[in-house]
Amino acid sequence: METIFDMRNVSYTYVGKINALNDISFRVTPGEQISIMGSNGSGKSTLLSLLNGLIYPTLGEFYAFDSQIREEVFDAIKDNEFRSYFRKRVGFVFQNSDVQLFSSTVFEEVAFGPMQLNMTPEEVKTRVTEVLELIGITKLKDRSPHTLSGGEKKKVCIAAVLANNPDVLLLDEPTAGLDPRTQLWLVELLQELGRVGKTIITATHDLETVAQISKRAIVMGEDHRIVVDGDVEKVLNNRELLLSTNLIHEHMHVHGKVMHEHLHAHYREHIHEHKN
Amino acid sequence: MEEAFVSDNFSKCDGFLQSLDPRAKLVSFLTLIFATSLIRDLRLLIFVYMLTLLFAYISKIDLLFFIKRVWLFIPIFAGIIAMPMIFNVFFPGDPLIRLAYLSPGTHLGPFSLPDSIYITKQGVNSAVIFTMRVAACVSVVVLLFLTTPHQVLFKSLRSVGVPKIYVFTLEMAYRYIFLLTDMVREIYIAKKARTIKTGGMFDEQKWVGGRIGYTLIRSLDMSEKVHTAMMSRGYNGDVKIMQEFKMRNRDYISGAITVSMSVLLVLISQNIIR
Repeated sequence: METIFDMRNVSYTYVGKINALNDISFRVTPGEQISIMGSNGSGKSTLLSLLNGLIYPTLGEFYAFDSQIREEVFDAIKDNEFRSYFRKRVGFVFQNSDVQLFSSTVFEEVAFGPMQLNMTPEEVKTRVTEVLELIGITKLKDRSPHTLSGGEKKKVCIAAVLANNPDVLLLDEPTAGLDPRTQLWLVELLQELGRVGKTIITATHDLETVAQISKRAIVMGEDHRIVVDGDVEKVLNNRELLLSTNLIHEHMHVHGKVMHEHLHAHYREHIHEHKN
Repeated sequence: MEEAFVSDNFSKCDGFLQSLDPRAKLVSFLTLIFATSLIRDLRLLIFVYMLTLLFAYISKIDLLFFIKRVWLFIPIFAGIIAMPMIFNVFFPGDPLIRLAYLSPGTHLGPFSLPDSIYITKQGVNSAVIFTMRVAACVSVVVLLFLTTPHQVLFKSLRSVGVPKIYVFTLEMAYRYIFLLTDMVREIYIAKKARTIKTGGMFDEQKWVGGRIGYTLIRSLDMSEKVHTAMMSRGYNGDVKIMQEFKMRNRDYISGAITVSMSVLLVLISQNIIR
């Protein structure tokens, strides 16, 4: 079976000083739904940027679709066939929607990707209309991005990425800042995309959605290394692991299979011994 | 920002200018501006200005809003430029109003001044023509902006030979102005929320200076991220943008009428046709 991504002992440092990833190795096969979990600053976003070929390993090797991704090959040549192939197959939904919405209308935003892939204007039009319909944002098509709400912006970002019809979807904190209804809509969409065979890799620390959108979890530690790579249920049931990686606080509880967080004061409501 | 929303609303109205192809409009209006800048006759300038009012009216634009938008800035910019023209200190002419009498041979530093200072007839005439010309040109431009959605207007620049990359950059600049304005406003509000006592003028100026620098850094950082987002979707330096314009007969006719009228105005103004 073709390997989608293969990371071999990859490390990444920003400006040669700040360590963002340390000795990362894992493989991704087609149709997998993976959550990359980790606390703030553990390197999740950097890992996704690497997987999207936007930055390159400082150490180690990164292969996508069985070809090595290196700056000299991937970035230097203007009309690089492999890069076009890679961009068509891999889509990236950024954490900050405003970064991704640079066109003047929603329609143009969604059309941007297909235009870059040399589709004819008629094909682009059909594709954009279909995607807007799929995401349910047809009525927004003539709006400017700055007039949209946070949830609408996220929907447009996802539509813009899906317009390229990628096989692999990378999402950086997709549920962050969304209201419950939009969160649920997103979870259902990702489940549906998973069912039709898309490979979905999501970076998140939202434990509630992890179990719903993925089967495999890669947990990043605060030392920027992979702590665990395994079945999502096992990871979520491993309280010690989640505590040590700063994904839960001591005040989190598990009710049945669902992890809940209750905000409460120590006084009266909840009394327990602290280790130190 | 509020004005941008109001303008957006006018561009969506079902008026005459809104129904024309943006390229026809752009070319027509540019020709008209060029002709207006060559006109020397005040009556013709007033005619062009009245024409813009008429077109604003049939394009369902609030006339008061339109007039205010044009005249709020003209006295400031054109007025300041035209002001010296009316005095005989700078340009000699026939006296209209005497302002002051100076003794003969008065000097202001190395410059010798005339015996008396007055406003000249020719000066007033030139200043009025200049201001009216600016008003007519600005009205045409404002009309173009009000009746065309900005994204369509930028795209129509391609029809007058502006390269794709400039059009695309212009579009992005317009889009991110809103984001950066929002960011600056948030910075200001955050400061206000934590301000207990106001600092002195110097401290405030220092703070504003610092924030300008910070906004620049943030915008540079954002531009890098936007670039990666573009690359992620297949951008490789060669801009490909959607363009969908359809020229109809009425667009060709409107264009032809405006161009002919512009030529006519210039010919009348230059006394070639009487």
